[in-house]
Amino acid sequence: MSAAPAFLLVGLSHKTAHVALRERLAFRVEDIPHALGQLTGPAGFHEAAILSTCNRVEIYAAGGAAADASGLRKFLASFHGVNEAEFAGALYERRGAEAVEHLFEVAASLDSQILGETEILGQAREAYRIAAEAGAAGPVLRQIFERSFFLAKELRGEGGLSGVQASVSSAAVELAEKIFEDLRGARALVLGTGEMAQGIVRSLRAAGVSDLVVASRTLERAEAFAKAEGGRCAPFEKLPEHLAQADIVLVSTAAPHYILTAEHVERAQHARHGKPLFIIDISVPRNVEPEANKRTDTFLYDIDDLEAVAGEGREQREKIAGSWRPKLVEEARSILNELAEPLPGETARMLVAHVSEMRRAEIEALCSAGIGDAEAMERIERAFDRFQSKLLHGALATLKESARDGDGATAAQWVARLFRLHAPQPEGAVKPDAASSPPAPASKEDLKEKSREPAGAKADSKES
Amino acid sequence: MAAQHFFLLSALAYAVGAGVALGGLRWSSLREGPWQHLAVIAAVLLQTIGIGVHCANSSTHFFTSAAETLWLFSWALGIGYLALLAGLGMRSLGALILPIAAALLAASHFTTQPGEPPAAAAAAHPLLPVHILSAFMGYGLFLTACAASVLYLEEHRLLKRKMFGVLFRSLPSLQKLDRAALLCTWAGFALFTLAVGTGAFLAKHYGGGETWYLEPKILATQATWLVFLVLLVGRLSGRLVGRASAKTVLFGAVLVVATFLLAHPFREAAPRQGAASAPADARGARTSVEAPELGCRS
Repeated sequence: MSAAPAFLLVGLSHKTAHVALRERLAFRVEDIPHALGQLTGPAGFHEAAILSTCNRVEIYAAGGAAADASGLRKFLASFHGVNEAEFAGALYERRGAEAVEHLFEVAASLDSQILGETEILGQAREAYRIAAEAGAAGPVLRQIFERSFFLAKELRGEGGLSGVQASVSSAAVELAEKIFEDLRGARALVLGTGEMAQGIVRSLRAAGVSDLVVASRTLERAEAFAKAEGGRCAPFEKLPEHLAQADIVLVSTAAPHYILTAEHVERAQHARHGKPLFIIDISVPRNVEPEANKRTDTFLYDIDDLEAVAGEGREQREKIAGSWRPKLVEEARSILNELAEPLPGETARMLVAHVSEMRRAEIEALCSAGIGDAEAMERIERAFDRFQSKLLHGALATLKESARDGDGATAAQWVARLFRLHAPQPEGAVKPDAASSPPAPASKEDLKEKSREPAGAKADSKES
Repeated sequence: MAAQHFFLLSALAYAVGAGVALGGLRWSSLREGPWQHLAVIAAVLLQTIGIGVHCANSSTHFFTSAAETLWLFSWALGIGYLALLAGLGMRSLGALILPIAAALLAASHFTTQPGEPPAAAAAAHPLLPVHILSAFMGYGLFLTACAASVLYLEEHRLLKRKMFGVLFRSLPSLQKLDRAALLCTWAGFALFTLAVGTGAFLAKHYGGGETWYLEPKILATQATWLVFLVLLVGRLSGRLVGRASAKTVLFGAVLVVATFLLAHPFREAAPRQGAASAPADARGARTSVEAPELGCRS
């Protein structure tokens, strides 16, 4: 049994699956913490994060060496009640450095159909935030995700990807301009108040759309959105009335069903005497019934369509992306190597958590033994606190000084070894060279024993 | 320089403009450059000079031969397109119109069908030039509207089928194409109505005979007028919009071409309906002012 845990990815994206399949496997934001709980609980992974956007559904997980993608596949199928065979062909799996590299590419929008789009970085941040708040993100995910955010920013800035940025928002405007001669007189109706909707609304406003009506089931959100974007708010119940007056309808809600049916559109178009109606549905799952597009005067586009528009003429962006891919590969290997070595800051956190846990267990044992009243217990607790501080002071100070002197990794390894602290070390990490390693342990048996401690590694990583 | 030289140069300018417009569908730099404007302006100017030279050389202001008809038709298309270019900047429309204008001029070079001179009385009537110009300009504008409608239908097809290629990117918006077609139809209809009115007046008073309005080309003219009338009423009432409107313009354009063919400048002269029964002097006059038609045998 090996101690090295695995970093895994299982997912599907616009490159492998149509929106009709993606929407069946998409996670609603409110369901993600529960899903993460299942992944880090019954499914047996140490850490997990779910990136569910309109373009992709991806699960990143760190687990024991025995963990493999089949567990994630099964989870995906059981969570959504979809037969595994239905999506097996569209699923991709990555492990180790390949999985890290994929995340780097995703966050930097190199895996997006629209290279240079900005929404994905925010979505990746949100995925990590939810995982962290749910307690599902430990040191492995933290470091890998944070590095991916850093690289994405670097690519936009130094890489020059932002200069040739095309996005779903500009694609929406381009399509609108292919239908309407002048957007200045157009009225836009916005259903849903997501971040992506905000981007499109801003682009439409910049293109001249002056009349903006925002409808949401949550009136407060609609009001806030309308205020921020200079529109007015309307009750969701009056949707048919507003639909008949709108030229552009932007739908971006988290509803799991159609909120705009073909019948709604049919009725609205009767009242509009055949004036063109442009509907953008960026929701996944889709919120506009596809049959609405059957009318000749209605133009309905989903997220895949917008990306197809924006995806045209991507040569320049591909060139930039191509030049950056080798760097991302190198960074993926590098971070796995770093994760293999306990870093001073990380080790300090693990050490404090480890000793705190021992202190807590001892105090609890004393409490349950009933050795004294509340006042006595308080004294004992304070004594333990002082003892912990004094005990750790030297070790923490050494870690800090070593980090300042550029020898943090060696010190961290020493401390980790002395206190038997184990962070999960992802597969694919290259072993540090002998020169930077601390002295060998007393015996080979000791080394073997150390390498057989995945349970401790899990507990430590969770605590920290 | 003979008029034909101007027309050949004009055909060349139209061909250059067509090349630029077609290339502009692929390369935006070509589409946005000034070359198409310059080529069309040059072509129309050369054509106008050519027509003037022809009128001066032949001492006439009527156009009865096949070649003359093609000159005027091409000229009307050029003027109509130039107006759209200036007003709406619809450069991609040139990819359809300019090759046709160039082809008409090129065809005129190989056409030898002679025209029939009009009766002296009709030829001297001040309404005759009005009739000729308004008829040709009306037809030219109808065909320009047709070109805009063809692009409208293509753009609509691309939007519905979600085909976002090079052509999609180079076409103007649906509403702009629709507006261009509508503007051309309104202007064309006004001029065409004037042509029909003046033609009817000349035919009635200068030997058109009792049944002049029953001749095939006259019937085609009436049908064309009626189709565009229905279209405009439909547009005004909001009942004929979008694809239906574009298809109606296309149908009207088919009638324009039918009228053009029925005007028989390209076929051998044959005894026409009623011609044998008409008095000899009246026959000549009738030939001259049959009606507003593309042959414009005024």
